Amino acid sequence: MVYLKCSNVVSKISEIIDGQASLMTRMRFHGHLMMCNNCRRYFEQYKIVKELAGKVTADDLPEDFDHVMEFVMNKIENKDA
Amino acid sequence: MHGNDRHQRQETGQVEALKAGESSAWKDILARHGPALLAYAARMLGDRGTAEEIVQDSLVNIYHTIGRFDGRCSIKSWLYRAVHNSAIDEIRRRRRYVDVGTDVLDNYFNEAGRWEHDCPGWDGPVPKRLDEKRLLTSVREQMDHLPHAHREVLLLKEVEGLDTEEICAALAISPGNLRIRIHRARAALRAAVVGG
Ligand SMILES: [Zn+2]
Repeated sequence: MVYLKCSNVVSKISEIIDGQASLMTRMRFHGHLMMCNNCRRYFEQYKIVKELAGKVTADDLPEDFDHVMEFVMNKIENKDA
Repeated sequence: MHGNDRHQRQETGQVEALKAGESSAWKDILARHGPALLAYAARMLGDRGTAEEIVQDSLVNIYHTIGRFDGRCSIKSWLYRAVHNSAIDEIRRRRRYVDVGTDVLDNYFNEAGRWEHDCPGWDGPVPKRLDEKRLLTSVREQMDHLPHAHREVLLLKEVEGLDTEEICAALAISPGNLRIRIHRARAALRAAVVGG
């Protein structure tokens, strides 16, 4: 099996997490992580931060679209330019 | 493919109604995508009042130019593209655009592709000294301060949940380019949160 360098491993992380990597890449990637503390640590941090980014929802900002809706619909319904 | 076909027909009908200026169709599309578009603009601009102005002007402009919509992307992508472009124009006009600096990934490895120093930050699957709530707060804060090119792809992918095709159409980039940019943006966010 071809040896992956740490820089190659890190460059594959996004594809691995998004399920876009081939089986061979996944095997080489996880094989490397078993032997390399630094890459394993980086991978865990990256994955956790990525997952938390997905929890930053739009609700964090108390957006109120009503104003905008009213403004735009007024323009549309009055057909003014 | 049937689901897609049905979706395609629905979208075609909707576009015709929008082009015909039917107010119920406009109301429907604004209610569906408007709040997320506003949240996106607010996070890009870092200012809610300006975001409201940008979004309302973009939407009115879309109403006036919907005749040019050619169906090569979805209506949703078209909306994001318009709001995104207006937001970036406004950010640049105010000279607030934050450029991507050197890629954090370039600094970690030596010429042999090995770690130059140990990977910084916490160890283990669960961060020992940070509970999830605090970490989430940090992720949110750091995301709001990332360079705009990183912030836009993370917001569209992770926060707004657009798919690859939608993001590529909204930002006018290729899937290959998006893959690279997503990786760099996630790496930059990790570095900002972990601190190295
Ligand atoms: Zn390694």
